[in-house]
Amino acid sequence: MRILVVEDEVKVASFIRRALEEESYAVDVCGDGAKGLDLAQAGCYDLIVLDLMLPGMPGLEVLKALRKEQIAAPVLILTARSELDQKVKGLDAGADDYLTKPFAIEELLARARALLRRGSGEAGGVLQVDDLALNPATREVTRSGKRIELTAKEYALLEYLMRNAGRVLTRPMIAEHVWDHDFDTFTNVIDVYVNYLRNKIDRGQARKLIQTVRGSGYTLKAE
Amino acid sequence: MPLRVRLTLWYGTALAVILIVFGSALYAVLARGFRDQVDRSLEETAAVAVRALEQHRVGPFLPFDDLAAEFPELAVLDKSFQIFSPAGKVTIQSPNLGRLDIPLSRTALETALSGRATFESARFRDGSSFRLLSAPIILDGALVNIIQVGTSLRPVEEMLQRLLLVLLVSLPAALAAALGGGWFLAGRALRPVESITLAARRIAAGDLTQRLTVAHSPDEIGRLSATFNDMIARLEASFRQVRQFSADASHELRTPLTVMKGETELALRRARPAEDYKLVLESNLEEIDRMVRIVDELLFLSRADLGEVRIESLPVRLDALVEDMQRQAAVLGQEQDVQVAVGAVASVTVQGDELRLRELLLNLVDNAVKYSRPGGKVELTLVRDGTTARLSVTDQGIGITAEAQTHIFDRFYRADEARAHAPKGTGLGLSICKWIVEAHHGRIEVQSTVGQGSKFTVALPIMS
Repeated sequence: MRILVVEDEVKVASFIRRALEEESYAVDVCGDGAKGLDLAQAGCYDLIVLDLMLPGMPGLEVLKALRKEQIAAPVLILTARSELDQKVKGLDAGADDYLTKPFAIEELLARARALLRRGSGEAGGVLQVDDLALNPATREVTRSGKRIELTAKEYALLEYLMRNAGRVLTRPMIAEHVWDHDFDTFTNVIDVYVNYLRNKIDRGQARKLIQTVRGSGYTLKAE
Repeated sequence: MPLRVRLTLWYGTALAVILIVFGSALYAVLARGFRDQVDRSLEETAAVAVRALEQHRVGPFLPFDDLAAEFPELAVLDKSFQIFSPAGKVTIQSPNLGRLDIPLSRTALETALSGRATFESARFRDGSSFRLLSAPIILDGALVNIIQVGTSLRPVEEMLQRLLLVLLVSLPAALAAALGGGWFLAGRALRPVESITLAARRIAAGDLTQRLTVAHSPDEIGRLSATFNDMIARLEASFRQVRQFSADASHELRTPLTVMKGETELALRRARPAEDYKLVLESNLEEIDRMVRIVDELLFLSRADLGEVRIESLPVRLDALVEDMQRQAAVLGQEQDVQVAVGAVASVTVQGDELRLRELLLNLVDNAVKYSRPGGKVELTLVRDGTTARLSVTDQGIGITAEAQTHIFDRFYRADEARAHAPKGTGLGLSICKWIVEAHHGRIEVQSTVGQGSKFTVALPIMS
């Protein structure tokens, strides 16, 4: 899952990035409204965390521009103002949720999970494909009730595959959503990680969930 | 009591006093005039009679008819007269006296004996009053007769009575009409006041966008409502400023809190190497320092606003201050690879508070260094310009846009470029500088070109 954080306070942006990265999200940070809009338009983000007070272009304007261009990624606005007005304006302009500074890091992460869940259409909070289950809140992965230990990268890759279960995901798509921006050329790293995942999830199982689509990429689905 | 009632009552009382004084004076003057007229005509008549009698050497006894035949002018007179002997006995009596018996008073007789005339008023039992003039007729130095001329005062009294009646009826009527008119006019004049009250009530309820809609006429009410509207506009502006200020203050305080909370919570989510905790603590310390600075500066400004900051008024050698500052500033500059130099320094003394002026200078130099680029130069100059000392701090830093130049002295204002270049600023330094300069009756100005640098100039009056 790739998240864009548009926040001009360097330290705030920095701890949000670290917190999200610890949850295995790929994070891009931008400290300027106009540049943030460019990034959001260019990349396909699963979530945008947007501060309202920004140099270059106010957050509210960025949000309106995004929605005008039919960019539907969920947007979580951050505001230092607790005034009702700001929240209402933000939500009306197309934001999906808001947080008032100072906020609890766990709340930010929980809201991020909730917004990502909304995007993938799953309701209960637990992603489920066949007997494979992934709980984004606890980061617990089980197959047939048996717990599977994953590294952060493996977890991020699996979450992305499960959120898009049934869809064919190309290597560039996977790179985009799971790895950082500076990645891109080493696409065989994806194959390596897919193999790690297969070893942990499909080895010894009758039904293989991760499948290679020749010439395109990978897909995760129940047969 | 409502103003309308009071105005009407005041007006009515004043008018009543005027009317009473006027009526009484009119009555008195007229009454006096009528009586004087009566007396004058009695005098004239008596004079004619005395002259005639003296000329004709009339004896003490003469019937009126003979007399009338002799002096026809006496018969046409509308007055009665009697002639008394020097003993006070009636000798001749005009027929128009009828049955009235008017004796010669003792006073009149005595005055006549001494050769002078007497005026008297007499009232008879039937209610008629008379005005009498008793004059002596003297022949060859001896009193021969006393002539008494009389006239009824009834016409005069009737006239005065009619006048009194007219006054008693017309004055209250006029007063009543005036009170009614006054009531109406006061109501009319006060109607805009009522509408001002209603508008003021709406404004007092918290809606500062309300304005009075009273027509902008150049009269008192028009001026009042214009003044009132001005006042509300200024109130609205200062309310907006206060709201903006507290919003800005809370934003500036929330940012360090957000950082501290976020970083601390993140650190506590799982066990980490000691080095990570140290970094978080160091970062938190930075934020605490920032908050302390904001709170200190806010406190200073709010005390300054309340007039609680004392400013000494002692002679301060500005040149000594500038040279002193250079040593401190050089250290500041070294950290950022900025050279701090002192240009021309004139010897000037101003009146003020050395500590505050030092703070002002330090703030300006600190800013100049902060917004300089490595390798840049900051120059301090002090020149004398007539009765003004001009202290300038010039840098070759990032500069300030024209739009930002109009706001940099506003509290918490920080241009985006400034935020990006020096994230630790509080946005209050220049507000404090401005306050210090103004407390010294001076001015502070800025000239700047983006990308080339800024020049802050403080003009202070030189001590005479």
